[in-house]
Amino acid sequence: MKNRWRKVLYENHDKPDNYIDETFLDDLKKNLYVRKYDLWTVIRESGVVTQQISCVCIFVLLFIYMKEDKISPQMLVAISLATTFVGYLFFCWLSASELRRSAWADLKSAGAFLTLSFGLSPILMTLTSTISTDTVYAMTVAMLLTNLLFHDYGANAAIVSQSLSLNAAIFSAVCLASRLPTRWHAFATLALALQIFALWPSLRICLKQKHWLNQCLTTLLLTVLSVVGMATISFTGAVLLALLHLFISFGCSTWLIALQPLKNNIHGPWDEAVISN
Amino acid sequence: MIHNICMVSDFFYPNMGGVESHIFQLSQCLMERGHKVIIVTHCYGNRNGVRYLTNGLKVYYLPIYPFYNQCVLPTVFPTLPLIRFILLREKISIVHGHSSFSTLAHEAMFHARTMGIKAIFTDHSLFGFADGSSIITNKVLKYSLAGTNHVICVSHTSKENTVLRAAINPHKVSVIPNAIDGTIFTPDPSKRHPCRLRVIVMCRLVYRKGADLLAAIIPQICSQHPDVDFIIGGDGPKRIVIEEMRESHSLQDRVKLLGTVPHHQVRDVLVQGDFFLNTSLTEAFCIAIVEAVSCGLQVISTKVGGVPEVLPIDFIQLAPPSSKALVAALNAAIDLRRQEKHVDPLVAHQRVAKLYTWQNVAMRTEKVYNAMAEEPEIELRDRLLRYSQCGPVAGKIFIVIAVINYFFLIIVAYWSPAEHIDIATDFPHKLKSTPQRWTRSAAKRTK
Repeated sequence: MKNRWRKVLYENHDKPDNYIDETFLDDLKKNLYVRKYDLWTVIRESGVVTQQISCVCIFVLLFIYMKEDKISPQMLVAISLATTFVGYLFFCWLSASELRRSAWADLKSAGAFLTLSFGLSPILMTLTSTISTDTVYAMTVAMLLTNLLFHDYGANAAIVSQSLSLNAAIFSAVCLASRLPTRWHAFATLALALQIFALWPSLRICLKQKHWLNQCLTTLLLTVLSVVGMATISFTGAVLLALLHLFISFGCSTWLIALQPLKNNIHGPWDEAVISN
Repeated sequence: MIHNICMVSDFFYPNMGGVESHIFQLSQCLMERGHKVIIVTHCYGNRNGVRYLTNGLKVYYLPIYPFYNQCVLPTVFPTLPLIRFILLREKISIVHGHSSFSTLAHEAMFHARTMGIKAIFTDHSLFGFADGSSIITNKVLKYSLAGTNHVICVSHTSKENTVLRAAINPHKVSVIPNAIDGTIFTPDPSKRHPCRLRVIVMCRLVYRKGADLLAAIIPQICSQHPDVDFIIGGDGPKRIVIEEMRESHSLQDRVKLLGTVPHHQVRDVLVQGDFFLNTSLTEAFCIAIVEAVSCGLQVISTKVGGVPEVLPIDFIQLAPPSSKALVAALNAAIDLRRQEKHVDPLVAHQRVAKLYTWQNVAMRTEKVYNAMAEEPEIELRDRLLRYSQCGPVAGKIFIVIAVINYFFLIIVAYWSPAEHIDIATDFPHKLKSTPQRWTRSAAKRTK
């Protein structure tokens, strides 16, 4: 056939402008870049969310313990220094040596931080003390939720902001410090916040990269710690927390897998090209 | 059949670009064919009110200020009284909106449909489906196009894209390409450099136009061919990338950056070159490559969007969007040129200038207008039914908006009745002293 329709603009003068050829939408492709998920991988990876929620719970629990005098601030500082030291040794052992700063540099920044926050703890203690307790708690809740929302879970998304999540957590620590009686308390709260929200996540990432089993163990350890800790304060809270952990790990993972067949992503020549090299 | 047409878009002169010149040229050619055309846009700085352009083309610059990317704030209802007033005053029978980015175009078409005036829409751009902003824009487009009578797209790829985005019947979509003014874009081989080859690039220097690709190609070509130079017209955030490349490879004397080139000087830049390079990552039609061929240049372009449809293969070298492939295509074009096997500039001009003329675009658009004028008016009930098919939730919202607008129209009509609105006198076309370009057709009309 001579006058066959072609998908060009400089021919086809015999056809009407709204002509539809049988090749219409031939270049349409669906679900080109769909990732196949494996249920157990998704469940394992969901651990990063559970871990962070557990950390937030542990932080709040330790604050409550201090407030109820179940643990002395000196004790808490000692524990957190000891665990930080052990964690640091682990971190040195796990991370590639050429990427790391020298131990001396790390020691210097740790020393500077500890002296500064200890020196400033009387100010930190009174910084938000004039604000009513309800407001302080509401602010703490909002800030810890902000921390959860913007935390770097490993996703490459615009919402991820490590600095925002860390700052939110530190702010919540400053808020809480004012509800405790002594400067030692304020110092302990701040040191704890830094350990849990700044240092611990980077060690967790190292552990996760080393071996997948580490990820499972960390998740399990943190989950058990947070639920048991919660049980000492409120039984209902513990049950709810356990349910939340189960829902995130198993419920959401299965849900994601179940929704996968509904994916309908359209591709075609109209897509913005990606530069290939 | 003579129509009273109202072109609406946020984008118009003094803003310059593809959509703006499309509206202007199409309006001029439709006026030449005897139709009455007015243009409605928002105000630009102190350019506010009614202005007359070439051949008495009347432009309403509405006192609505742009808020983002030259578009007015989408408010839907408040524009109704003003647009109704203009449509009645000018006795408009067809409202023709341009560009899916233009909120004013969507609102005017929506009001026209509420008033029972036919609405036609021309889509100039391509959209993806994956990211958040396109999902929202596509939803708005779906609603807007559910009401319009007909859609015009500039290429077949653009038609496929629009049909998918707006979920409309493909029979309601016509493909009418863009055009160029063949009397302006003429070749002039005497302006070329006698012993060096020049590659022209003419685009805004932004990511979507492939400025990064450009920065990767230039050093490779310059090192392979000591007699090839680059001239880059256009400005944008990626200009710094090109400048850095030029510094680091010491190509200051071989890569010339002109900055933004005014549209009337584009031809003078084009004729200085032998090749035209287009590195766009997405393009619905790409008028620039047609202008380049019309000026006698050999075109090398990325194979994206509607670009492969535009030119016959002997005028264009297509390559996938990677620097390696583009370098290979440019090399092939340079080899052809050295062997004197390239298409003669005059032959290229004669073929392309005949393919894409505004007169042809106007004639084909007029066919769409005629078909629409004969189409029976859609009843309000059917219109609402169409909106409800836009989605289980969005459909309901759309119906509510349409009904509110309908009631608002009744209130406005009671408040300022149609018979109290003065009818504008038409521009006295027969008395005008016709400029050179229009004499031939004017003579034809009087015969």
